[in-house]
Amino acid sequence: MLIDINAYTGHWPFKRLLNNHCEGLLERMKEYGVDLSVITNLNGVFYKNTQSANEELYEEIRSKRAYKDRFLPFAIINPIYAGWKDDFKTCVKDFGMKGIRVFPNYHDYTITDPNLVELVKMARDHDVAVGLTMRIVDSRQRSWMDLATEWGLKDYVPLLREVPDARYMLLNLSTGLALPEEDEATLKNANVLFDTSGRHITHFAKVFNRFGKEKFAFGSHFPVFDYYTGLLRIESLRKEEADEADRALFRQGNAQRFLKL
Amino acid sequence: MNRRNFVRNMATSASGIILGSSLLQETAAGMAPRPTPADRMKEVFSYRKLDAHVHVGLTNDGPELNVDYAERLGIDRMFISKPVTRGPAAPEDFRAANDFILKCMKRFPERLTGMLTLNPTYKRESLEEIKRCTGEGMWGVKVYYQVKINDPLFYPIIEKLIDLKMIILMHAETTLGIAGYRMKYDQKIKPQSSIPENFVDIAARYPEAMFQFAHIGGGPDWEYACKALRNSPNVYVDVSGSNNENNMVEFAVECLGADRVLYGSDNMYYQSVGKMIDARLTEEQKRKIFFDNYNNILKKGGYHVD
Repeated sequence: MLIDINAYTGHWPFKRLLNNHCEGLLERMKEYGVDLSVITNLNGVFYKNTQSANEELYEEIRSKRAYKDRFLPFAIINPIYAGWKDDFKTCVKDFGMKGIRVFPNYHDYTITDPNLVELVKMARDHDVAVGLTMRIVDSRQRSWMDLATEWGLKDYVPLLREVPDARYMLLNLSTGLALPEEDEATLKNANVLFDTSGRHITHFAKVFNRFGKEKFAFGSHFPVFDYYTGLLRIESLRKEEADEADRALFRQGNAQRFLKL
Repeated sequence: MNRRNFVRNMATSASGIILGSSLLQETAAGMAPRPTPADRMKEVFSYRKLDAHVHVGLTNDGPELNVDYAERLGIDRMFISKPVTRGPAAPEDFRAANDFILKCMKRFPERLTGMLTLNPTYKRESLEEIKRCTGEGMWGVKVYYQVKINDPLFYPIIEKLIDLKMIILMHAETTLGIAGYRMKYDQKIKPQSSIPENFVDIAARYPEAMFQFAHIGGGPDWEYACKALRNSPNVYVDVSGSNNENNMVEFAVECLGADRVLYGSDNMYYQSVGKMIDARLTEEQKRKIFFDNYNNILKKGGYHVD
């Protein structure tokens, strides 16, 4: 069994994405033998009212039985936009979404904004995971209308310190993994799941040995990235680096446990 | 769909799209046979590979790590280099870098071939270094951003490489703001970095030379780069670099043709293989990029990989 914890539908306004819809993602899932994908609507990064993106995603998944069986939608919530608490409740209670994603740098608030902290506490209280994305695209090739600065892993740690008992997904580790000792301890002690898509996982065995085998799961970051690289990090492990049980954790075990599937 | 319909549809779908373990089990049980991870690794190993852009000595990792990944991912041979990335890149600097690469080659002759580096500001010493290093089995030249690729200082170097029928791999940028390109959006100015237009210029001046535009996955705007290089048939691009964006390799093939795209990792091993295996290309196109194109370039200079 395989679970992808980091995939998208929707558009990136500065570049054409291919297969950026449920059908395109499902084709790749079949090709690679992936059973289930956590999916988020990229449009929500850019819509001021992110709930419209969540509704689009909900509708797209409901449009075909196969989608309902294969996708686990996560909402994008902007906690400084009117109605965000209602949006959260709708997505969690009515749409059955098991997670949310927040984009503080794109939505222009700080990582310790009181509204974000309140949202994460709500997620914790509703047993909903919180996805934090280190990077969507490389700023070196950004559009002139895109953000010029990126947040590293360390920039997200203050939120984990504010709400230490929430469940966090840290996705696309592409902006530097260097951490002060105290921040590293915070991450190691938190209920955190990293995905395998990020470019800073240059040697996967070293990285999971640093943070713990239970903290990693396959993620593709597709259709922004190719579909295979995140999986190759797992499948190219040597036997002495990870036995079959370890690989099963990365393929689905950690995701199942973390997402309570 | 309007809001009223949306709410009504939601209400009639009381179960929403809640997924859980029972559904997951159902999904797994109902699936047709599908490719296993082992099948996928067989596919990885089914392609012979020549890594046309990879380094040793720019980090604390030694050549053992290159060889580890070569074996892990089925890379037949890596063409390693150590460009001088700091300081003046004086003759003693590039000689020392080349000596280091020669040692790596001697340790792992079955996997590693060196590319020499130089600084065309030092014409005599650079030409001497080409003679010395190629005499010791190195092949091709890797250069950094001390001098732009179309600077007249490069002319005697390129003319020598035309004689030798060797390629010149130049670090390249297409990042907004780099090298005077769209200064409005500038982030880090490295004024001597080579940009696509510089390659177009020098490739037209020396149509018999072979140029390699470095790492379209290394941070440049690869759409811009490929479009700019479309009509420069003696410029190849390598797909190396840390970015493994969907459709990058396919776009390069669409713009340049499959014969002008080279496989390379720039030490980003997972991404380099992952984006190639996932690319929506034919097997023949992948074989060309992974191996044949670079081997054909090597053959021109009397070097090839069996």
